[in-house]
Amino acid sequence: MSDSSWESPGPEPQLAELVGQWDYSTLPANVRLGRECFLETRGVVGPIKTTRDPALVIGDRTRILSGGWGGSMTIEDPGMVEIGDDSVLIGVQIMCSELVRIGARVLVSYNTVIADSDFHPRDPDLRRSDAISGAPLGEWFGYAPRYSAPVMIEDDVTIGINTLILKGTKIGRGATVLAGSVVTADVASGASVQGNPARQVEP
Amino acid sequence: MTFVTPGERLPYDWLPVAIPSNTEFGTNAYLHSAFAFRHYRSRRTPGVRVGDHTALYDSTMFDVGPDGHVSIGDYCVINGPIFATDHDVHVGSYVYVSYEVYIADSSAPVPSWCWGETRRGRAAGRDIVIGDDCWIGVRSAVLGGAVLGRGVIVGAGAVVDFEVPDFAIVAGNPARVVGWAPPGGHRPDATQRLT
Repeated sequence: MSDSSWESPGPEPQLAELVGQWDYSTLPANVRLGRECFLETRGVVGPIKTTRDPALVIGDRTRILSGGWGGSMTIEDPGMVEIGDDSVLIGVQIMCSELVRIGARVLVSYNTVIADSDFHPRDPDLRRSDAISGAPLGEWFGYAPRYSAPVMIEDDVTIGINTLILKGTKIGRGATVLAGSVVTADVASGASVQGNPARQVEP
Repeated sequence: MTFVTPGERLPYDWLPVAIPSNTEFGTNAYLHSAFAFRHYRSRRTPGVRVGDHTALYDSTMFDVGPDGHVSIGDYCVINGPIFATDHDVHVGSYVYVSYEVYIADSSAPVPSWCWGETRRGRAAGRDIVIGDDCWIGVRSAVLGGAVLGRGVIVGAGAVVDFEVPDFAIVAGNPARVVGWAPPGGHRPDATQRLT
């Protein structure tokens, strides 16, 4: 019989790490947390690979949870991620190299991926030089510049499970992205979209 | 044999936490870890009921809200879906569920205890019924309002939120009926695409 439970982890440090009861002051200095934020695990706000300050801004009372398979925010130079007040994100994977801005009262459900770049160049020769540069003990040519464009998610947006939000998209205020969608273009305020690529549907 | 005793730790678990006491597990039911109950906040009795000989493998999660209830029949293979609901989910017997599957009461569920000021989720949610002998493919989503008949096959990546007749095969996002798989062979209209 154990005295620990998910709602009151008690003295178990292994459990406390999994339910948001860890020392948020150990986060990097370029992370700005609002009041009463909840970060379920250390992993949901990292890895932060940029020295930009601030690199990550999280609003008041925003909750970021790990889904079944975790969640992460990879922020590379010169990227910045901003999340507004009272938003709830669970199991989201953000890959940022320029700007990902998420508004207030936004709800992002399980296993959503938000990426503001293509990660690699379109030119196959440049891609090959990237591959060699990134390989274990590969020759260093430096990475080619990547094409990126900001992702803007406005206030009161709802994003369903298993969704992909790709670079350069703006999701208008109050819009709904239904489960399993791949968002490749702007979504109008208040609209509902579904499918791959996401198209407007009747709400 | 009993693997899972509500209110106690699993003898083989890596986590020092007990299985919630408001659960029921049948004879020979297997659960990989109490980690499955990390977001479990059901106040129902039981909040989760699992039948005999049913196996809940790695990465299965019960993100069940205070009013939520999940019932799973006998001889099911539950290979790592996330049950995210504050409503009722009934899964029949002999059901296969693949991994990265979501069985969720709405399109964008988050655990009820962190809705906060967004106040979305509860009203939109609906019950789910999955019949006996269903087969749910990888990365699919079975959402609130889905009523799967007997032997329904849900293709990989499908998103289903409607009533599906017995032995239908559904696929796509949004899903549609793409074929039939009844016992012992095909119906005469097996090649006909519906909807």
